[in-house]
Amino acid sequence: MSTPEVALSLQGLCKSFGETVAVDGLHLDVPIGAMYGIVGPNGAGKTTTLSMATGLLTPDAGTVLVYGVDLWAEPERAKPLLGVLPEGLRTFDRLTGAELISYSGLLRGMEASTVEARRDDLIAALDLQDYSRTLVTDYSAGMLKKVSLACSLVHAPKILVLDEPFEAVDPVSAGAIRRILSTFAGSGGTVIMSSHVMALVEKLCDHVAIVGGGQVLAFGTLDEVRAGKDLEDRFVSLVGDVGEYRDLAWLHQS
Amino acid sequence: MVASILRLRLTITIHQLRREWWRILVLIGAAVWTLSLLPSVAYAALDLSFRAPDVRMDAYTAIVAVLVVGWMTVPILIAGLDDSLDPARFASLGVPAKRIMPGLTVSAFLTIPVLFFFTTLIVFSTSWLPDGGEVFAVALAGAMLTLATIVLSARVSVMWTARLLQSRRSREAAFLSGIVGVFLIAPLASILIADGLETILEYDARPILESLRLTPVAAPVGAAGAASMGDWGGVLWRLAISTAWVVMLWLVWRINVAHVLVHPTARGGGARARDDSVLATVVRFERRWAKTWQRLHRTRGEPSHAAVAVWARAVRYWFSDPRYLATILSVAVFPILFFFLVYPAFVESRRDDLVAIIVGVPILLAGTIGWGRHNDVAYDSTALWLDVSSGRLGRAIMWGRTTAVLVWAIPMVAVGIVASIAVSGRPDLAPGVIGACAGVLGTSLGVSAVTSVVLPYRAPAPGENPFSAQLGSVGASLFAQAISSGVSWIVAAPVVLPLVAALLWNPLWGWVGLVTGIGTGALALIVGIRWAGSLYDRRSGRLVGAVA
Repeated sequence: MSTPEVALSLQGLCKSFGETVAVDGLHLDVPIGAMYGIVGPNGAGKTTTLSMATGLLTPDAGTVLVYGVDLWAEPERAKPLLGVLPEGLRTFDRLTGAELISYSGLLRGMEASTVEARRDDLIAALDLQDYSRTLVTDYSAGMLKKVSLACSLVHAPKILVLDEPFEAVDPVSAGAIRRILSTFAGSGGTVIMSSHVMALVEKLCDHVAIVGGGQVLAFGTLDEVRAGKDLEDRFVSLVGDVGEYRDLAWLHQS
Repeated sequence: MVASILRLRLTITIHQLRREWWRILVLIGAAVWTLSLLPSVAYAALDLSFRAPDVRMDAYTAIVAVLVVGWMTVPILIAGLDDSLDPARFASLGVPAKRIMPGLTVSAFLTIPVLFFFTTLIVFSTSWLPDGGEVFAVALAGAMLTLATIVLSARVSVMWTARLLQSRRSREAAFLSGIVGVFLIAPLASILIADGLETILEYDARPILESLRLTPVAAPVGAAGAASMGDWGGVLWRLAISTAWVVMLWLVWRINVAHVLVHPTARGGGARARDDSVLATVVRFERRWAKTWQRLHRTRGEPSHAAVAVWARAVRYWFSDPRYLATILSVAVFPILFFFLVYPAFVESRRDDLVAIIVGVPILLAGTIGWGRHNDVAYDSTALWLDVSSGRLGRAIMWGRTTAVLVWAIPMVAVGIVASIAVSGRPDLAPGVIGACAGVLGTSLGVSAVTSVVLPYRAPAPGENPFSAQLGSVGASLFAQAISSGVSWIVAAPVVLPLVAALLWNPLWGWVGLVTGIGTGALALIVGIRWAGSLYDRRSGRLVGAVA
């Protein structure tokens, strides 16, 4: 079993779709209070892994432990500890932003009065006041991200699992999100986020795992993984560069 | 461009078949079934070839009329049957309508139903062979024009309806004009049917069919008839107006495609500010029902907020999402047409044997509503991750979403019951009809709750054309539809028995039906929801993938 210091433990996760192996025996322990960045090339299995870690996709094999609770055996105990922001999935877009936040809170079984107070706090903190009474279907991509983040925070989870939380978010809102996440991790919360942006991971995270081919290629604290190099260089050296630097001569403008 | 669009369609189909091999079985089954229909078509054509040309013409005119109406309405009424390429998918490529239209046209004609009707119409044309080769040639040309008419009519009707349902204002306009249309048809029908149904069929049917042949829709049939009488001028103008009609339909379709290409996303009805009705509903529920709930469950605990929240969300969807509105609309069309068209006839002819049919209408309506929810979960599309990741909430979710249907289903069925009792003039049957409706609605909703979790198939995503199937999902949807309707029939049939007894022997049986119907309906609904809920929890790790 996992030690109490581990917030989220992924043990031997496997998932294939037909003949494609997306995740191949992946192990990862995320310590409590960490800001854990998961980086990897496109198709490395990041989203599949995070889906299995949050109860959205049944793994073919392996266990997910949330504070020592087996997520797939006891979802009713494990899921309340998690706040989830998936990537590329729709939300209930015929609700307004405020309604969507209330809805997530109520699904989590919270008191109506608590939901109301937290909803208003989140709307203010994420600068959504002007749009809280607008249907989510009329939101821009960045606002959608912000309101989804609010939904994942409303029940005060112990662990936040965020898939590409900064994609399409403007710099001002990104600053607000960073502040919220840092405070959360500082107070003992755990954040696991995937990203393509190395600079962002270096700036924000204290731990990092590099994923490729459905497995963890390197993990640990940021300095351990960097091993004295730039994170991007280390990343490229681990997952391999593009096969060929072909010159697209026909693209040159003159 | 034609070749690449056809290749695209073929590639999509092949990939789909490779991913889910059992679809091939469905395809083969469908092909065998259609082929097995051809002998009877050939027999009918042979029989007609021995008849006089005017009898033949009447028969073909009626067939063409049914075909056109069928092709225009079936894809709208049965959501998910329209498997054609959605032109909106080409919006991001920046190709003008002019360039994709040839490809779309060819691919619209290369489907199994079109091939079947192509063969059927050719077989029918052979019945003109006894009148000479040149008459057969005209009939063949007419058959091709008819085929073009039905296929293009279907495209135009689907695209227009989808476009109408897109914005809130035009949606309301469509509803209103539909109702006004029905009200206009009703007096017309009552005048027509004033002489009684037999007289119409005997004396009025022929003039109606004859005037239909003067319209472009059935003119090709008239052309063959004119050719058999040697009236070549008549052949010419009939084929000409029919060709013009086909060209016009194609142009209307093209205008619609061009519109879709530059209006890709269907958004909500503008930035209208709304209050948080989800939270308000939960607060209201708590204030009114929490005490009752606690007493019922002998607990001091709180009722599940999740179920009420899901309910509030589902109700919002029923009245604001075009896909859901299209469902309500298509369910309501049949009984409205039935009552407004049959009522006048019934009043005139006073035929008692129609009572069973009339009281059957609200029951059928209840069954259609319940059965129609057999893919309910998939309509959430991938948004259901929010429900799944929030805990083990299967029961609360199924409670909320199933009872949300009752918000509009109960009033609609109630109107149907009142109308059928009023039309039939048999208030003594009311308890039996109410019981049967409640029973059928409850059981079919219960069955649907389970199948929507066990056999979800891809539904149109939010903002997509409400009538389009996801490419290649027709096989899966037919499978799920067959299973859910079969089970619904088996489970719901006993509920109707007391009403049958009331009709045949003694109306007092109706009171038995009232009690058993409401009892069975409520029980089946509760059992169905609870079972669906635990299945939801067990399958939650597969649901998001199944509807994505």
